[in-house]
Amino acid sequence: MNRSFLHGKKLLLVDDEQDLLQMATAILADEGFENIITATSVREGIDAADQEKPDLAILDVMLPDGDGFSLMGRIRAITDIPIIFLTAKDEAADKLAGLRLGADDYIVKPFLPQELLLRVYAILRRCYKEDAPLVKLEGSTVDFSRAEVIKANEVIPLTAKEHILLETLARSEGRIVTVDTLCEALWGDNPFGYENSLNAHVRRIREKIETDPSKPVSLITVKGLGYKLHTRK
Amino acid sequence: MKSFGKYITRHLACFAATIIVLFLVNAVSFGWTFHEVITRDYGDASPQNMLEDVAAASTQDGISDDARRKLQNNSIWAMYLDREGQCAWSVDKPVNLPDIYSIQDVAVFSKGYLADYPVFIWNAGDGLLVLGYPKDSYTKLTSNYFSIHAIQTLPLYFSGMLAVDLLLLFLAYYFSKRKIIRNTEPIVASIEALSSGKPVSLSGCGELSDVAESVKKASRIISRQNEARANWISGVSHDIRTPLSMIMGYAGRIAESSAAGSSVKEQANIIRNQSIKIKELVQDMNLVSQLEYEMQPLHKAPARLSKLLRSYVADLINAGVPEIYSIGIEITPIAETTVMNCDSRLISRAVSNLVQNSMKHNPQGCHIGLSLDRFDTSLILVIADDGIGISAEKLQELDRKPHYMEGTDETLDVRHGLGLLIVRQVTEAHGGTMQISNATDHGFTTILNFPIGIVE
Repeated sequence: MNRSFLHGKKLLLVDDEQDLLQMATAILADEGFENIITATSVREGIDAADQEKPDLAILDVMLPDGDGFSLMGRIRAITDIPIIFLTAKDEAADKLAGLRLGADDYIVKPFLPQELLLRVYAILRRCYKEDAPLVKLEGSTVDFSRAEVIKANEVIPLTAKEHILLETLARSEGRIVTVDTLCEALWGDNPFGYENSLNAHVRRIREKIETDPSKPVSLITVKGLGYKLHTRK
Repeated sequence: MKSFGKYITRHLACFAATIIVLFLVNAVSFGWTFHEVITRDYGDASPQNMLEDVAAASTQDGISDDARRKLQNNSIWAMYLDREGQCAWSVDKPVNLPDIYSIQDVAVFSKGYLADYPVFIWNAGDGLLVLGYPKDSYTKLTSNYFSIHAIQTLPLYFSGMLAVDLLLLFLAYYFSKRKIIRNTEPIVASIEALSSGKPVSLSGCGELSDVAESVKKASRIISRQNEARANWISGVSHDIRTPLSMIMGYAGRIAESSAAGSSVKEQANIIRNQSIKIKELVQDMNLVSQLEYEMQPLHKAPARLSKLLRSYVADLINAGVPEIYSIGIEITPIAETTVMNCDSRLISRAVSNLVQNSMKHNPQGCHIGLSLDRFDTSLILVIADDGIGISAEKLQELDRKPHYMEGTDETLDVRHGLGLLIVRQVTEAHGGTMQISNATDHGFTTILNFPIGIVE
């Protein structure tokens, strides 16, 4: 999927370490993010959230005038945006507390630039869908907004389940998505023994998107794990 | 604990033996002391022998000189009463005694004393021989009769009493041992727990409460020290994270930067990779210390290991695995649907450590197979590679030798990573066991066996 439409999103970084803010800003700016605002305390964070209306906030858990958890509560009271925690604590309790309070993700310090970017992209993509996303495959194109596949000038409609399945795969394009994740996306929590139904859906999708459904090149089976969707740039 | 029970039994048995020995010693010393007295009392000068001798050596008419001398030597007086109660003759008879006795007199003194002289009589056929011993030399029982029934009851009474005594003694032994053990059991158990460095909770040790208090105090000191150590490690690991973030971040930026030269990029890459190693070490050290001192609460929840394994392998492949490594996963249908109560994060960590180990030790590449199967109430997770493996000695060392985080021996090999230690701790925290082995020819295999308990 195209990432550039996400680069216009406004990001708020809150950390009391000036050096770390500088570095994170540089990493995000290198990647193409244009609107990055920073704050070093809870007070500044609230003001920035209020005035700048960011699209995503990355908060340190430990701040000089409070903690990131309470800052999240204050920000959420102003605007309902996705929030990622940046924590120096490895303890599971901290992560769980953050997630239970409604954080979208957490990153444990120290982190690699790539890790920060991947998480930011994943959250942004989940929360802000690109308008009219068209996904180009080897033998066809998928139009998610209309739930259609265009193959050799033929328009084939997708069922609701097929749409969910393809969208889940497309969101992790080029990456393995486990059968468990797919089953959960289709049937909700704890879906036991749905793998046969999943196989059936995959077969039907292949008939719609692949040029030769018996030799799939776009929707690939990864033995023992799940499936992978290859797109064409 | 068993040895403690034996210890008490042994000591109580010793105590009983001491009592028996004391009785024997008393009996011997009694015999020793009274031996002489008794032989004298029942020897030549005893009333019975003296009566017999004197009776044989005398008649109504008189007494032989030998017998008279013998009586005088022993300060015994004698008199011979004829059928009428008249004194026929006498030897040294005290002057205050009469010479004639009525039948009532005879009946009274024959049982006891005559003017305070203990007297003994002998029926001499035609008269009565009376011997008088010095005053205060013998005591006589003036009412010496027992019913036959009482005498017959005695043996039964003594044997019955003995049996009851023995039973009471045994009960006293049994209950005191039980009471001692009940009071000391929690203390002994706590000391055992202390010896493995675990905190203890003690309550209600009765009379031994001050001992229990000392044990609790020791436990508090140990757990405070453990806590301090774990906090220290967690503090260091916390403080090192932000600076390390900066090192990793900037090194990463330089390594990816188009403005930097290739050698600079390469060096930045080395900094980044080494920083990642420090990061892993810090995390491992923290986790090991938390698990070691049971400070990390396990967040157990029912989960399918099958799902967890797939998710781990998918993430690993998605993050990019060099092509020289291939990863296979095999899950049997019964293991697929088995739910286990576990801390998913820690189990993933253990699996990750084993897979990373396989890669680290096989830079030439290898196949890593993960398999999950179920036997009865156990889930068996096997992580095996077909790489270079390790030598038999090294395997034994890994299996037996405590890690440097666990021991105090300065000669411990500090070159071992923390990876395998974490795997073992995580497995044990789930009540499971870890087994490592060399494949027949080459390769390294780890088998984790988890009991799945009642969750179905």
